[in-house]
Amino acid sequence: MKQILKYSLFIILAFTSLSFQQQQSFDPNAKVKACFIYNFTRYFEWPEKMKTGNFIIHIIGSNSVLNQELNKMAASKQVGNQKLEIKSGSAIDASLKPHIIFLLTDASDMLKDVASKFKGKGTLVITEKPGLAKTGSSINFVIADNKQKFEYSKKNAEKSGLKTSEELKSLAIAVD
Amino acid sequence: MITVSKSYHWLTKSSFCFLLCCLIWHNQYAQTDSLFKAQDLCSQKKFEQAIQIIDNVVNHIETKEDPSAWHIRSFAYLQLYTQSGKYNTSKIGLLDTSVASAVQSMKLDIKGEYKDQNAQFIENSSKKMFNLCIVLLKDSLNSSKSDFFYNKYKKITTLIKPDFNFKEKDLEYYNGTGSIFVDLYLKNKSKKEYQDVAKLSLLKAIEIDPKNISANINLGVLFYNEGVELMNKLEYDVDLSQLDIVQENAKKLFKQSLPFMNKVYELEPKDARAIDGLEGIYHALNDGEMENFFKQKKQALDKK
Repeated sequence: MKQILKYSLFIILAFTSLSFQQQQSFDPNAKVKACFIYNFTRYFEWPEKMKTGNFIIHIIGSNSVLNQELNKMAASKQVGNQKLEIKSGSAIDASLKPHIIFLLTDASDMLKDVASKFKGKGTLVITEKPGLAKTGSSINFVIADNKQKFEYSKKNAEKSGLKTSEELKSLAIAVD
Repeated sequence: MITVSKSYHWLTKSSFCFLLCCLIWHNQYAQTDSLFKAQDLCSQKKFEQAIQIIDNVVNHIETKEDPSAWHIRSFAYLQLYTQSGKYNTSKIGLLDTSVASAVQSMKLDIKGEYKDQNAQFIENSSKKMFNLCIVLLKDSLNSSKSDFFYNKYKKITTLIKPDFNFKEKDLEYYNGTGSIFVDLYLKNKSKKEYQDVAKLSLLKAIEIDPKNISANINLGVLFYNEGVELMNKLEYDVDLSQLDIVQENAKKLFKQSLPFMNKVYELEPKDARAIDGLEGIYHALNDGEMENFFKQKKQALDKK
């Protein structure tokens, strides 16, 4: 009996470590970023002409976990009456009129181009590399105190043609 | 007036004494006969019938202090329990009676005729209790009932081995309980109570043996998964201030898992589970530097 017991405990322990490995694909920031992005749709006001059709979030760069998470969000949420649509790629899709452009770390170099191209067009530009809120993005995700936070540039958001909320400033790390 | 002669009086008196002796002897003989009958029934494996007889014998004034009667009673009850099926919790009273009878037999057995066998019966009962508590954990997931039987096992073992060191058994039991409930929790994360039992048991195991690898790994996994669950439960439209609180709570849980995984890594630097775990924890804590450190360790280990 003792041996059977030890053997069965061994099996249980093997299962346990397997479960931990399965959790490795978990990216806590992907979920948090999706929550932040969905919340931003409530804190900014897009120009009237962008209030019809789908609400497009254009992801540039590679992060499969984040893409998955955003698509999951798009399947269950809407922005007002607009359906959420996630468009991913490694370059800007010129045919799109995105409400949000999210430049992932590996696409950060494109910020200057994106900021100038979408100036006044009503597109919220989000980045995730330290310092980018000061050089053109409206929202920049940063890590502070082991947590996901965001920097907010009201000035850049206004340049993008978005009406902004004062409340957001109190929840963010303000850069201007 | 009738006068009774002295000799007649003496005769009456002695007859009465003789009759009384006969009666006592007969009674005693009857009890001894019952004891043999019970023994015979035991050898025929008719334990239920044997018990009916032996219960009367041990309650009888003439035989209640006979160690052999209590010894047979212990045997009969132990065997009846075994006959009732493996791991039968509803018949646990039979084991209790077996133990109590063996203890009584030992008390009365001044010559030590049944000492070893009585000790054997008690040991068998304690083993059955231990097996029962493990089975209860797995089958009924009733940890409090299992704890009850485990404590009973300890109490019974102490009867024959007063100096028995339970450290190893405690470790085996708490680690086993922890492992079973970690597994259950991972399969059904809505069952918070499984997680609580697992945590409590594993912490007890670590208290006994701080260097226990499996208890440390399991606790690390538990805290880490609790943090992951917290994050996974987030609704996309969660209020931003609430989002910060959830992140803070998850961070605390990830940090709580760290010392356990670190302990395993410290004890077994090549344990892949610890390296995997630490990589995951640091990733969850957004500590890229440490995450990379363990990623490299993992790659180096994989190459070997």
